[in-house]
Amino acid sequence: MGRYITKRLLQAIPTMFIISLVLFVLTQNIGDPVTTMGGRDPIRPDDYERLRTELGLDQPIYLQYVYWMIGNDWTKVDVGGKEILGTRKGILRGDFGTSLMDRVPVMELVWSRVPNTLLLMIPAQIIIILFGVSIGIYSALKQYSLMDNILTAGSFIGLSMPVFFISLILIYVFSVLFQHWGLPHLPAVGMFEPAVGKTPLQVAIHMIMPVTSIAFISIASYSRFMRSSMLNIMNQDYIRTAKAKGLEKTYVILVHALKNAALPIVTLMGMDLPLLLAGAVVTESIFGWPGMGRLFLDHLEGSDGPVVMAIVILVALAVILFQILTDLIYALLDPRIRMD
Amino acid sequence: MDLEKTFPEGSAEDLEAPPLSLSKMAWMRFRRHKMAMFGASLLLFLLLFSFAGALFFSEGYANYTNTDIRLTSPNSAHPFGTDPIGRDILARTIYGGQISVIIGLSAAFVMVFVGIFVGSISGYFGGWIDAVLMRITEAFISIPRIFLVLVMAKFFSNKVPDITIYGSTFSGSVVVIILIIGLTSWMSLARIVRAEFLSLKENEFVVAARSTGTPTWQIIFGHILPNTIAPIIVAATLGVASAIIGESYISFLGLGVQPPTATWGNMLDGAYQYIQTAPWLWIFPGGLILLTVLSINFVGDGLRDALDPRSRLI
Amino acid sequence: MKKSLSTLGFLLLVASLLLSACGVKATPVPTQAVTTQPVASTQAGSPTQAAMPTEAPTAAQKKVATLIFTQEPDTLSPMYTSTWYSRITQQIWNCAAWVYDNTNNPIPVLLTEMPSVQNGDISADGKTITLKLRKDIVWSDGTPITADDFVFTWQMYTNKANSVNSTYPYSLITNMVAVDPATVQMSFDQPFIAWEASLGKVVLPAHILRPIFTASGTLDNADWNRAPTVGCGPYVFAQWESGSYMRFERNPKYYDAAPKIDEIFIRFVADNASQTAALESGDADLGAMVDYSDIAALKKANVIVAPVVSGYNEGWYFYLGDNGKPAIKDVKVRQAIALCFDRFSLVKNMLLGQTVVAASMWQNTPWQDPALNPWSYDPTRGKALLDQDGWVVGSNGNGIREKNGVSLDFTIGAVGSETRTNTMAVAQQQLAQCGIKLETKTYTPQVFYTTYANKAPCSTGELDICESSRAADFPDPNISLFLSSQIPTNDLPAGLNVMRLSDPTLDKLFALQATQIDQTQRQQTFYQIGQYMTQNVYWLGIWNDPDLWAYNSRLSGVKFSGAEPFYNVNEWDIK
Repeated sequence: MGRYITKRLLQAIPTMFIISLVLFVLTQNIGDPVTTMGGRDPIRPDDYERLRTELGLDQPIYLQYVYWMIGNDWTKVDVGGKEILGTRKGILRGDFGTSLMDRVPVMELVWSRVPNTLLLMIPAQIIIILFGVSIGIYSALKQYSLMDNILTAGSFIGLSMPVFFISLILIYVFSVLFQHWGLPHLPAVGMFEPAVGKTPLQVAIHMIMPVTSIAFISIASYSRFMRSSMLNIMNQDYIRTAKAKGLEKTYVILVHALKNAALPIVTLMGMDLPLLLAGAVVTESIFGWPGMGRLFLDHLEGSDGPVVMAIVILVALAVILFQILTDLIYALLDPRIRMD
Repeated sequence: MDLEKTFPEGSAEDLEAPPLSLSKMAWMRFRRHKMAMFGASLLLFLLLFSFAGALFFSEGYANYTNTDIRLTSPNSAHPFGTDPIGRDILARTIYGGQISVIIGLSAAFVMVFVGIFVGSISGYFGGWIDAVLMRITEAFISIPRIFLVLVMAKFFSNKVPDITIYGSTFSGSVVVIILIIGLTSWMSLARIVRAEFLSLKENEFVVAARSTGTPTWQIIFGHILPNTIAPIIVAATLGVASAIIGESYISFLGLGVQPPTATWGNMLDGAYQYIQTAPWLWIFPGGLILLTVLSINFVGDGLRDALDPRSRLI
Repeated sequence: MKKSLSTLGFLLLVASLLLSACGVKATPVPTQAVTTQPVASTQAGSPTQAAMPTEAPTAAQKKVATLIFTQEPDTLSPMYTSTWYSRITQQIWNCAAWVYDNTNNPIPVLLTEMPSVQNGDISADGKTITLKLRKDIVWSDGTPITADDFVFTWQMYTNKANSVNSTYPYSLITNMVAVDPATVQMSFDQPFIAWEASLGKVVLPAHILRPIFTASGTLDNADWNRAPTVGCGPYVFAQWESGSYMRFERNPKYYDAAPKIDEIFIRFVADNASQTAALESGDADLGAMVDYSDIAALKKANVIVAPVVSGYNEGWYFYLGDNGKPAIKDVKVRQAIALCFDRFSLVKNMLLGQTVVAASMWQNTPWQDPALNPWSYDPTRGKALLDQDGWVVGSNGNGIREKNGVSLDFTIGAVGSETRTNTMAVAQQQLAQCGIKLETKTYTPQVFYTTYANKAPCSTGELDICESSRAADFPDPNISLFLSSQIPTNDLPAGLNVMRLSDPTLDKLFALQATQIDQTQRQQTFYQIGQYMTQNVYWLGIWNDPDLWAYNSRLSGVKFSGAEPFYNVNEWDIK
C-alpha cells in the first residue's frame, strides 16, 4: 500500500511539471496586463516601459518561468537602475508571487475567497449526493414506472441545460416575477444585504439560488449513474440469493446493493470534490458571489498571470491528490480490486 | 411420428430467420428505445429548422439592423421579437443554429481524432510511450475544463483569420472555439480507446496479423480499431452535445464567437442585461440549445444501449 | 474499516463546512433608521416586508448612503492604481490641493488661493509654481498637513524603489522645496501649461508613510495601500471586505464643512444589470456609468439620471500609416464616410437622445468653437464625392465601389462592448448603402490597447479604423494623441499616436498651445485645431460620451464634477 502511494505520488510529479509548463505558455499570451494600468486612458509610454521592467515582464520567457518556479532571491534584479537581491521564493517554496493587478500576494487574495466558494460548493455537493443517490435508487427500484420515466426525462433535461440558463430561469421566476407579483422574493445578487450585514441568515437566503443552479445539473448525472449502477447490481446473483434467503427487501437494498452500487459514486465524488475549489465560475459571476471562480474570471480579464496560474495549479494539484485518494478508497472498499 | 411429414426436407432453412448483421441488430435495439426515437425525430426537426430555414431568411436579413424597431416583443412580423438593434431573432436563431451545430460537429470530430490517436498509440505500444502520453492526458484532465477553455480562448483570440467557405465567411473565432473545445475533451475517449486496445492487442487475430508481417499502422487502424467502434460512436455523439453546451458557456462569458455573427451562446450573452424587460431574447436561444442537446443526449443513450448493452458507465 | 473511513469522510466534510462558516461571522453593519428607508422598496431577502434587520438600531439615527461600484478598486493608494473606481474614492477619504466643481472651475481646498500669474504664485516665465497652504488643515488623526507632506509625495512618486503606476506629473517637476511649513515651491524645466488639471491631486501623509518607507525601503507592500486609516478627506476609511463592500465613516476632524451623512457604504456588484436592479429597488442610492437603456426604468423608480461631461468622446480613428490602405488616406473618402454614416439616428435611437454627436474631441467644453458642427448625414453628397474621386460601383454585383481594381473595403475594430458592436453593425449597413464595405472585428481591452511591440491591431495597420472613447487631460484640453512625436516605433513602442497621423500644421498648432499662458489665445488655437481636424476628418466623432450618474432622489445636495465626481460629498444629505 505504501509502495503504491509512493509510486502514484512520484508519477504525479511529471504530470504537475507538464501542467505548469502548458499553463505558463498559455498565460504568456492572454494579453498585456500593463496596457490597462492607465485606467480609462491609455498608459503613458514612459510609465509603460518602466512598469514592464519593474514587474519583470521584459525578461525572456524561459527566465520568467525559472523565476516563477524557484524564485529570484538567489540572483540580483534590476530595480530602477540599482541591482538588488530579488525577493521571490518561487512556487516550489510556496511563494505564488504577487498579483499584477492588485499588488498583493496571490495567496492572500486566493485565501480570502476560498471560504466563500466552499460555502457554496459543499452544501451543493451534499444536496447532490443526497438527491442524486435517492433519486437513482428510486428510479432503479421502480424501473420503467411512470415516476421513473418522469425522473429520467427530468435528469436528461437537467443534463442538457447550460447552467446559466437554469440560473436565468431561476432569477426570472424567483426574483423578478415574484417581486412583480408582490410575493417575497429571493435576492439575485451578492452574498448578503449590506444594510443588514453578513449574518448567517442573510448568507443562507442568498445561497439558495446559486446552490440550486449548481446542484440541478449534477443531480441529473449522479442519479443516472446511480440508477444504472443499481440496476447492474440488482441483477447480480448474490442479491437474488439474499432475497431468496428471505431477507427483508429494504435491508437487502440498503446494506447489500447500496454498498456496491455506491462505488462509482465515490469515483464521481473524487472528481468533483477538488473541482469545488474551482468554484462554479459561471454561477458565481451571474449571482455576484465573491468566490474563487469570480476571482479567476476577473483576473483572467485583467491578464493577471500570477493569480490565474496559482488558481489553476492549486486546483490541478487538488485533483491529482483526490484521484489518488479515491483510488485508495475504491480499492479498500472493493476487495476484488488489486492494486498493481 | 413421421418427421419427414411434419418437417419436409429442405424447408428447415425456411424456418430459420436469416442471420442479422451487427448493424441490423443495433438498429432493432435502437428502435426499441422510445426516448432515442423521440430524440432522433426532434433532432431531425431542429436540423431542418436551422439549415432549411435558411432558405426562408437570407443571412443579410439576419444581420439587418433597424434601430427604430429595437426590442419589440414577438409579433406577426417578427415571431421571435427583435434584439437591441432591431435584428429579427427568428432569423438569428436559424443562423445561430447553423453555427452552433457546425461547431458541435467539428469539435466532436477534433475530439475523436485526437482521442483515437492518443489512445491507440498509447494502448498498442505501451512502455514509455504509454507513460508519457498518459502523463500528458492526466495533465489535461487535472486542469478543470472551464479554466483551460477560458485561458485558451484568450490565448487564441484574434490570432486566427476569417475563413470563407462557399461564399459565407466564418469569423476566425469559430475555428478557435472548435479547436478549444476539441482539444479539451479528448481525454476520456483516449482512456477508453486505450483500455480497449490494451485488452484487444493480445487477441489471436492481432497475433496472426503480426506474424504475417502486416505493417503496424494497418494493425492499429485496420484491425483493432474497427472493433472499438462502439464506444467511439457513443462518445462522439455525446461529444457533439457537450460541444454545443461548451460553446454556449464560452460565448456567454464573452470569449466565444463575436457578434455580429450569431450563435445561440452569444445571443444568450446579449440577453443578460434584459432578463426582465425582454425575456424573448433569452427564452428562444436557450430553449433551442436545451432541445438540441436533449435530443442528442437521447440519441446517444439509445446508441449506447444499441451498440454496447454491456457498457453502463456514463 | 469501511465504517471508519466513511466516518472520517463525513467528519472532513463537517470540518470544512465549519471552517467556511467561521468566515461568516455575523458582522452587523449599523442599520439605517426606519425613517430613512424608502417605504416602497422591499427589503430583498427577508421573508416579511415589515421586519427590519435583526440588529437593534444604534441610539443615534445613522445616515448611510450606499454607492454601487461595478468594479472593485484594486487598491486605494493613488500611487499604485489608475483605475477610475479607485480614483474617485480619493474625494471621499483623501484630499487634493484643489478640486473642480460642477462647472469645471477650480476651487482651492488646501490652498488659500489658486496660483496665478496675477498673484505672483506662478512666475512670469511659467517655470515656478508656488502653493500657499492654509494653516488650519489637519489629517484625520489631528496632525497638521504641511508643505512637508507635499514634498514627501513628490519624493515617493519619483523614487525608483516604489513601483508606482504613473510618475506623471511628478516626473516633470525638477525640484520641490518646502520654503516654510505653509509654502511649497515647484520648479519646472519648461512652463507646464496643463498644471491646473494635473498637479496637486495627491497628498500622502508623511508622518505615517515615511517610517514605513525608511523601514522597508519601499511603499509597495504598505498596509496603508489597502487600508488607508489616515487621510484628509471628509470621511475616514473604516473597512474593506474584499469582493463585497467598503465603508467610510465621517471624519470628526475635517477642517471644512462637516459632512452631513454619517457613513458612505460602497457595494461591489458584478455588472450593470445588478447595479440597475439595486438602484430601482432602492437598495442603493447612487451608481455610476448606467446604461442608456436603463434610463427609462430608473426614472420611473424616482432615480435621477445625471449625464456629466467628463471630456470623453466616442470616435473613429483612421489609420494613416504608410502600410495602410491608400483609400483611407484620401480625405475625400473619409469625408464620404462621415456623410454616409447616420450618427444622428444612432444617438437618437440607441442612446435615446441623451447625448449629441461630437464634432471634435472637445465637444461640450469651452475649447470647441461654438460654430463648429459635425458632418451631417447626407448620403447623396457622400456618393457624389466618391463618384468625383473615381470610385465607381463595381461590376461584381455586390454594390461595392472600385477604383483601378481596388475595392473600397475597410476593417474596423473596437473593444467588444454591446454598444460598440451594435454601433459597428449599424455603420456596416449604412456604409454599404454608399458602396463602402466595412468588416467588423472585436477585441478584448488587453489585446486592443497593447503596444506596437505586441502587435496591437491599431498601430500595425491590421485595422483601418479603430473605434474608442478618449478624452484629453480633462478639464485641460491638451492631448498628445495626434502628435507626430508620439508615433509608435521600435524605440517608442508605447507611442500614443497609433493612427500614425503626421500633419505638420497640426503639430505646429499643438506646439503653439503648449506655450500660450494666455487662456484666450490658447482657446483660439484650439478652435483652429478642432476645425482643422473636423475638416480633414482625422477623427470622426460618433457621440459625446458623458458619464451617466444615477442617484436616488432622497439624496440632496449632490453635484457632480466631470473631473472629480464626489468633490462635494460633504454637502450631501439624506432627506
